Amino acid sequence: MTISRRTLLGTTSGLALTGALAACGSNTGRGGGGGGGGPELEHWYHQYGEQGVEQAVKKYADAYDKADVSIQWRPGDYMQQLSAALLTKDGPDVFETEGPELDQIRGKRVADLTDLIKDVKDDYNPAVLATKTYEGKVYGIPQVVDMQLLYYRKSLLDDAGVEPPRTLDALVDAAKKLTTKKTKGLFLGNDGGAAVLGATPLQAAGLSFVSDDGTVGFDDPAAAKALGKLRALYADKSLLLGAPSDWSDPAAFTQGLTAMQWSGLWALPAVKKALGDDFGVLPFPKDGAAGKPTVPVGAFAAAVNAKGKHVAAGKAYLKWLWVEKEDYQEDFALSYGFHIPARISLAKKAKKLQEGAAAEAVKLATENGFSNPLIWTTAANNAYNDALSRIIKDGKDPDAELRKVVRKAQSELARVQGKPS
Amino acid sequence: MLLRKLLGPQNRNLWFWVFVGPFAIGLALFTYVPLAWSLYLSFFDAHNTVTPEDFVGLANYRTMLTDSAFQDSLLTFVVFTAVIVPATFALSLALALMVNRLRWMQAFFRSVFFLPVACSYVVAALVWKLSIFNGVRFGLANTVLGWFGSDQIAWLSTTDPPWYWLVIVTVRLWLQAGFYMILFLAGLQRIPKTLYEAAAVDGAREGWQVFRHITFPQLRATSVAVVLLLVINSFQAFDEFYNLLSSAKGYPPYARPPLVHLYILALGKEQNLGLGSAGAVILALIIGVATVAQARFFGLGRRED
Amino acid sequence: MHDALVRAGRALRVALLIALAALFLIPFYLLLRNGLAREEDITAPDWTLFPTDLQWGNVSELFADTSVPMARALLNSSLIAVATTLGTLLLASLAGYGLARIPYRYANAVFYAILGTMMVPAAVTFVPTFVLVSTLGWISTLRGLIIPTLFSAFACFIFRQYFLGFPKELEDAARVDGLGYWRTYWRIVVPNSRPVFAAVGTIIFIGAWNAFLWPLVIGQDRDAWTVQVALSTFTTAQTINLHQLFIAAVVSILPLLVVFLLLQRYIVAGVERSGIDE
Repeated sequence: MTISRRTLLGTTSGLALTGALAACGSNTGRGGGGGGGGPELEHWYHQYGEQGVEQAVKKYADAYDKADVSIQWRPGDYMQQLSAALLTKDGPDVFETEGPELDQIRGKRVADLTDLIKDVKDDYNPAVLATKTYEGKVYGIPQVVDMQLLYYRKSLLDDAGVEPPRTLDALVDAAKKLTTKKTKGLFLGNDGGAAVLGATPLQAAGLSFVSDDGTVGFDDPAAAKALGKLRALYADKSLLLGAPSDWSDPAAFTQGLTAMQWSGLWALPAVKKALGDDFGVLPFPKDGAAGKPTVPVGAFAAAVNAKGKHVAAGKAYLKWLWVEKEDYQEDFALSYGFHIPARISLAKKAKKLQEGAAAEAVKLATENGFSNPLIWTTAANNAYNDALSRIIKDGKDPDAELRKVVRKAQSELARVQGKPS
Repeated sequence: MLLRKLLGPQNRNLWFWVFVGPFAIGLALFTYVPLAWSLYLSFFDAHNTVTPEDFVGLANYRTMLTDSAFQDSLLTFVVFTAVIVPATFALSLALALMVNRLRWMQAFFRSVFFLPVACSYVVAALVWKLSIFNGVRFGLANTVLGWFGSDQIAWLSTTDPPWYWLVIVTVRLWLQAGFYMILFLAGLQRIPKTLYEAAAVDGAREGWQVFRHITFPQLRATSVAVVLLLVINSFQAFDEFYNLLSSAKGYPPYARPPLVHLYILALGKEQNLGLGSAGAVILALIIGVATVAQARFFGLGRRED
Repeated sequence: MHDALVRAGRALRVALLIALAALFLIPFYLLLRNGLAREEDITAPDWTLFPTDLQWGNVSELFADTSVPMARALLNSSLIAVATTLGTLLLASLAGYGLARIPYRYANAVFYAILGTMMVPAAVTFVPTFVLVSTLGWISTLRGLIIPTLFSAFACFIFRQYFLGFPKELEDAARVDGLGYWRTYWRIVVPNSRPVFAAVGTIIFIGAWNAFLWPLVIGQDRDAWTVQVALSTFTTAQTINLHQLFIAAVVSILPLLVVFLLLQRYIVAGVERSGIDE
């Protein structure tokens, strides 16, 4: 089907070249400009929830005149689709990714993009750029920074006489007090938080997945203590579970099913629209003496398929779009949904991010943001998530569960650090 | 001379392959070749690649066999089968017996129970997850609980007690009971009426006695076929598990049957095709042994030759 | 006394049947109720039996949504289901006939090799089959979605068992008229076997329309999505539109329900005559 679609669209742009359709507008989703004769590039995006993003990225692609860029807009399990497509001959030339994954870098499936950004390297949010860097080389250009944070309903907290929680203990306490017959205290996702929280509670306890020297960073009694408190939330029946949509959707919060919800910055416009000023945002609260409040940050990055047919053309296109065209980058981050531009200079300029909850969120991302390191593999992450789920839901002993994860993580870290590719 | 021998009398050998060949070749290509390839990959470290170079011997098998998640997935299959097979068997047989004896509206009731067979697991899982068994106040099950003053239950998220099994089992029961009911109905229709007449003469009354001594024994062939099909199908379980339980961020560690486990391992973000293949080979061996054992137990295969 | 007992028993049985039928119809009721409601009606704290004003606009909204190409998915599912059904019937019935009727030294060996694959569940072959199909460059193509699923050992088995019981006299008459295997098959055997073709065809069609795992893995391109894959993406999307999801589900099962109700008696007759259960 890909082929037939390409051919079809190719014909369209061919017609456009003759000028016959030139007057009818440039809404073909590709080609356009004066060039048209360049190579055909296929560019993948995951489906953004906000209106207008698809039209915007098509507009950018249309404006590029050194290649014929076609946009593939892909709903569904994007990362799974992408991994599978990169195994085959028909993968995209350029694509956005939450990764690139370490195994993709080591398997030389993504191209080295260090040269593309060398002049503006210091302008990228360092926490985010670090996750796209392996052995000093950059394999993905960060597009926008996303973050997760805690939303709370001011009026409900006031009614219950609860202060916005600043420690994990206070969060457990607040969630319990806020739980009524019709409304739960806190929503951490339908699985009780196991999948979305990840390293967040560890970071809040002053720990991490991987420490600076490349060893397991949560082989510490404080880790078990922090995770045990998540179990308390579940055992108290303070958590909302089994909502139709998951943590990424603010629906449960805006429908009044929960008094507090862990969600993304992208939810802020919808929350504001539904609740006006009746909400506030918080980081994940700290735990223990060594702890600090924390928020996970991450970025979709643009990458080039190293096994594709047009590596050089793909690189040139990405450099144009994600390094040179700052007006597009600003438009992409701020005009549709709610994201922080990955370039610090652009983030500073953005008016939208200078007041209210948004400003608060940006400050949190800059001061308390963390990102999972690249060498933290999917296998290690799956083992951790499974253990966290068992701790939260089954009440399994956190110490014993974590010991198993530490072993798995050690062997994965040894695998990815041990032998050079 | 050789050619004639190859072709057989009246070109029968040739004709045999004209009829059977296309099917056999396709089956070999899409079943036996993948099996062989799987076997090959299972001896390699194949992350994100299908043409691996890093030979690791039996390491993948060792990892897989000692992996508690894989063992859990086998246990999940056993539990699931132990519940769904008897439940479906009993329900579909009961439906068939009741529908069979209706004098009016038989077609209507048969259609109602048969209709879910046309639904996909995806659609059914949607209804179950988002409407009947969602964990909030506007789910049907929680609404009903609310009438009796009970608290809401997060059906799919609660592991103690494991309410998720209720969701998983009822969805499959709804989807497949009608199909097996039809098989039982066909079986019932083949039982000679004279048997019942003879029983009536002997004084056996309607009901349990007749069922025990005539109906059920006469349904033996059908019953064996139903059990075999149910077991095979429960081994293939994937759709409803995946659609009920997976989220954008992953799949919970419980209620993960073998097929889901292999999907996550080999085709998810991890793309560990070597390990996934080793798991597939282990499964194939287990199924082979189980099938032979089952066939022995039911005395199948004797009739074949 | 005895009569009264029997009558009470019968009444109880009918009451039980009606209750079960109502239970079996609940999911269909929910599909319609939610599909034709507004979002607020669905998430309202108090249960409404049916939305007061039905939102038929939900249907056009569904087809207007460009992020989930429902019309395209319906077309794909139809193409795949029809092609798979026809292809399977052709290949499996030919093979079944050859195995049942053409004497050949190794026929039994071939038959067991085919039967053996029935015991290999998809769990075992889907990874390498995916690899094979991707090597062929068939990812996200109709070829890749259809061809690997055409070789149903189950269908072949049914046909073989059925043809073993096919009246030999009919074929012998054709032989006398000088017809070979090929023409006997097409002129005598196929026209006299319509019920079994209808039964197997319906089962294959339902299976192909409702297939999920294979289209999920192979049909990655949005243009190659089937109805089931499109539906599934609703549940993993960042935000869920409940009413849209349910109306999409209704649209996805309608074609099949119609086909199903029309062909139901063939399936029942086919099951009875083909001996699927023996």
